[in-house]
Amino acid sequence: MKNKFLFLLAAVCLGFLPAAAQDDYPTNKEVAQRLQQIGSSRDAKLISLVKTEGGEDIWALQIGRGDLENKPAIAITSGVEGHHVLSAELALQVAEKIVKDHSQLLETTTFYVFPNMSPDAYSQYHNKLKYERRGNAVKVDHDRDGEISEDGYEDLNRDGMITDMRVESPLGKYIAHEDYPQILVEAEGANAAGKIRYLKLSEGIDNDKDEKFNEDLSEGIAFNKSLTYQFPVFEALAGDYPVSQKETRALLDYLFERWNIFAFVTFAPENNLSTPLKYNKQGAEKRIVTSILEKDAELNKIISDIYNETVPLKAYNQENQGKGGDFFQWAYFHFGRLSFSTPGWWIPEVKQEEKDSLNPKKGKITPETNFLAWAEKEGLDNIFVNWTEVEHPDFPNRKVEVGGIRPFAMMNPPYRMVDSIAEQHTDFVVKLAEMKPKLEFHNLETEKLSGGLTRITVDLFNNSPLPTHSEMGERSRWLQKLQITVDKEKEDILAGNTIKLSGKLGAYEKETISWIVKGNGTVTVKAGAPHTGYATMKVKL
Amino acid sequence: MKLNKIHTVVILGILSFLLNIPSLQAQEKFFRAIGTPHKPEVQVSWNRYYTYEGIVEIMEKIAKAHPNLAKMESIGKSFEGKDIYLLTISDFKTGDPDKKPAMYIDGNIHSNEIQGAEFSLYTAWYLTEMFDELDFIKELLQDKTFYINPTINPDARNNYMNKPNTPHSPRSGMIVLDNDRDGQAGEDGFDDLNGDNDITMMIRKSPTGRYIKDPQDPRRLIRVEAEEKGEYEMLGYEGKDTDGDGEVNEDGIGYYDPNRDWGWNWQPDYIQRGAYKYPFSLPESRSVMNFVMDHPNIAGAQSYHNYGGMILRGPGAEEDKDTYNAEDVKIYDAIGKKGEEMIPGYRYLVVYKDLYSVFGGELDWFYGGRGIYTYTNELMNSYQYFHKNEGRGNQEEQLKVDKFLTFGDAFVPWEEYDHPQYGKIQIGGFKKNFGRAHPGFLLEQDAHRNMAFTIYHAYHTPKLSITEVKEKNLGGGLKQITATIYNERLMPTHSSQDLKHNIERPDYVSISGANVITGMVVNDEDFNKVEEQKHNPEKIKVRNIPGMEAVKVRWIVSGNGNYRIKVDSAKGGTAEWRK
Repeated sequence: MKNKFLFLLAAVCLGFLPAAAQDDYPTNKEVAQRLQQIGSSRDAKLISLVKTEGGEDIWALQIGRGDLENKPAIAITSGVEGHHVLSAELALQVAEKIVKDHSQLLETTTFYVFPNMSPDAYSQYHNKLKYERRGNAVKVDHDRDGEISEDGYEDLNRDGMITDMRVESPLGKYIAHEDYPQILVEAEGANAAGKIRYLKLSEGIDNDKDEKFNEDLSEGIAFNKSLTYQFPVFEALAGDYPVSQKETRALLDYLFERWNIFAFVTFAPENNLSTPLKYNKQGAEKRIVTSILEKDAELNKIISDIYNETVPLKAYNQENQGKGGDFFQWAYFHFGRLSFSTPGWWIPEVKQEEKDSLNPKKGKITPETNFLAWAEKEGLDNIFVNWTEVEHPDFPNRKVEVGGIRPFAMMNPPYRMVDSIAEQHTDFVVKLAEMKPKLEFHNLETEKLSGGLTRITVDLFNNSPLPTHSEMGERSRWLQKLQITVDKEKEDILAGNTIKLSGKLGAYEKETISWIVKGNGTVTVKAGAPHTGYATMKVKL
Repeated sequence: MKLNKIHTVVILGILSFLLNIPSLQAQEKFFRAIGTPHKPEVQVSWNRYYTYEGIVEIMEKIAKAHPNLAKMESIGKSFEGKDIYLLTISDFKTGDPDKKPAMYIDGNIHSNEIQGAEFSLYTAWYLTEMFDELDFIKELLQDKTFYINPTINPDARNNYMNKPNTPHSPRSGMIVLDNDRDGQAGEDGFDDLNGDNDITMMIRKSPTGRYIKDPQDPRRLIRVEAEEKGEYEMLGYEGKDTDGDGEVNEDGIGYYDPNRDWGWNWQPDYIQRGAYKYPFSLPESRSVMNFVMDHPNIAGAQSYHNYGGMILRGPGAEEDKDTYNAEDVKIYDAIGKKGEEMIPGYRYLVVYKDLYSVFGGELDWFYGGRGIYTYTNELMNSYQYFHKNEGRGNQEEQLKVDKFLTFGDAFVPWEEYDHPQYGKIQIGGFKKNFGRAHPGFLLEQDAHRNMAFTIYHAYHTPKLSITEVKEKNLGGGLKQITATIYNERLMPTHSSQDLKHNIERPDYVSISGANVITGMVVNDEDFNKVEEQKHNPEKIKVRNIPGMEAVKVRWIVSGNGNYRIKVDSAKGGTAEWRK
């Protein structure tokens, strides 16, 4: 109490709140400050789950009122990829807005926000040397040759960024794009003849002379490549076994104790909101399930439609619907919860006709050319590092140039665009929260039988467009069944049990329950599970 | 020699003769039996079982009695905070035990499958006691290391022994889970109604029962023919409905399976019943994993279960068939089939084909995830009773055993009891320590035979030596040096699973004391087929040194110094050659 007061006092005296001055994505330190500020609200509590190898906190923000763990909850997870810096900002703003603008929701819903699962990798955005990093700070031998991180990047043009490298070579597979000559495209067909050919590599030196460039980076395990579902064992950034990192374990251990989470919203490159996952019968029927289950695909479609109504950005290049070891698929396939993922933002499609018709484009449209067209339209500069020649020890007397699209630019919009993205995504999260399973009692009847017996009959109703259990959730031991309890001694219940378990109630589905009870007074009937919340009712005998 | 001196000698001789008489009389009470430590430093009875505390005490004694051969350490703590102790057995005077090719052995992963702990411990005891007696054992411990981890489920081992249980419980560890998904964990387990520390069976007289007691052997219940009237009904294991949901014993200790917690092809509970949260989410398997990751010298491994008399190898699941390729299967077969000869009645089998499918099992992680040749033995089988294979859980045979061999020690006779829900019932049946566990008189023999199998396995971990170094003068002050490195055992330094994924680093063959111009692996000496290594040629990386084969490495050097060649292999140990 006293601390909160001091903090507010300090904020007032200094005349600003830390968030106000932001013009770029926050540093880890700034993320922590903003979280502490949210955590100082009466509806939120901030805890650190663990410190990473790089010494950064893994934060968890619990937002809600009263008995948090017995109200249905949404878990929002960001920083699932360290170079997706937008996602951490999105989580922060969504959390800020829920606390500020949607506090009435907290009477019935709990939110768990994990704003950054990759703080070690994330810090590379603000580092002197900037590159799109995924791995944490542990030491890993990615190419499994017995030497650790012996071949990482080098900033050859000394611009503080790792971009690409092109080497003129008759053996090269790349040529300059017709419309955007700064972009390299794979040479194909007749139009490639007679053009300068390039090798395309990432910026650096082949330190261990194995003719592979930058194959053993100075970074560790990537969070979004190290979970249990379709774990890509022994691949770079994945490691030797799943869930090997302490931040992953800390998060999972925390989640396994939160029985109340009914849905996950993850801000990550994977996208099952613009387009829902498709049901594949064969994959769903295998022993190791590889497809979303049939009824859950329908739920995904319902939520997807709501997302597309709420977030106007039209899907473009959004084919990533899951990769081995990722987080959002884990939450569904291995944790049995509804799981939704979106990058939050992507480069919109720039249509040709919107462009200068005097200079019609001839070349193939690639994500990179679309990016340049978009940047041009938005008037963004400083998004491309022009090719400059460097001396390269691995290519003596050859023309080697360094350049390319700036790191982070294709995944993260300019900071000024974030506010509206965050607003739309807050709206989406709120709509999802409003759809949570909701149990109600209806049509209570008590009939007096002779001999002091009473028959109680009541309908338990799920007043929600979502079922209480997804099809996968029904299978998982990590989601509780609906428990219907009567607080009467076992001997006084002549028909029925003091506790009855019910597997599932579908969308707007009811189940009629009855007991024959002996005696007088009142009994309390309670039904639900942590992830549906509980309905309670007093019955006079 | 003068007469009085002779006198003295004679007197001394007579005296010493007389003095010797009492010691001669107290002399040998024992006559050596072949195959067993004759006068062991550490006395252990191998015809009984030990609790966790008993196991630890024997480990301490072994480590104390043989400081140059045995070292005890804790590799982590169990869920309840017990230390998981491991013995390192090797000749510490002949090099760092963590650099020698090693055999890892553990037992008791399933807490009710107890004898793996005694078998592991017997191995530690035998090796240390026989080191000075047998050249074979001495050489073995000079070359190899044994990491012996008797119980990797100490909490529930003690629960099995000290608390009421069936032969099949707890199996898991002591973390209590919500098995019926009602939001409460472990609220309705077994109840030891008659207070005998065994959970046996409940039966009740009933007009609709389908069983009668055998008139010739009242211990035995027989199912009546379809048209006949029975007298008794079966009510299952001892217990009651504690939580009032109309079910008996539906949510006890556990349930999860520690042998579904390993990081190779792990699957969640709805696919693989018994899986916990994620691989190595149990503290006991996590401790073992950390130890194995820290000891890349482990080339072979053995885990002990019960029962059925099986020597099992992976794959655990059909989905993993392709993980085990022909070259590795050849080695598995060679060792496994030898095991069948050494342990009569045991059969060499493949888990998914001959048993059932398992995802996330320990042996699959050892092999799939680490490239270590690993077996699981299902200890104890019916063969050991009457040298007939009557199969698992053959009631007829078990009743006969308890009649003629154990004289009633294995069976709790039926006795009446007033049950709160069932009314008048009878409780009785086989005790928890019969069936799966060896009776005491069979324990030592089977321990020895299984140990012999692990010794054979350990013996065939790679053994490397530099057998030949040839020099050839190339003129101009240059010299070509070709070294032959031979692996004189069955196992390669890298299993083919290891090679497929580069699990372990390559073997290094390095030269020092010479000015190296270039270095190469010689694939075919006769036709000079070589593979040059441009980067750091002083230390040639060799992908693998196959079993019973040699590899050749060559350098071109200048100068005339005395050089030294070293082999350094994670799983194959080290070897050296000096000019």
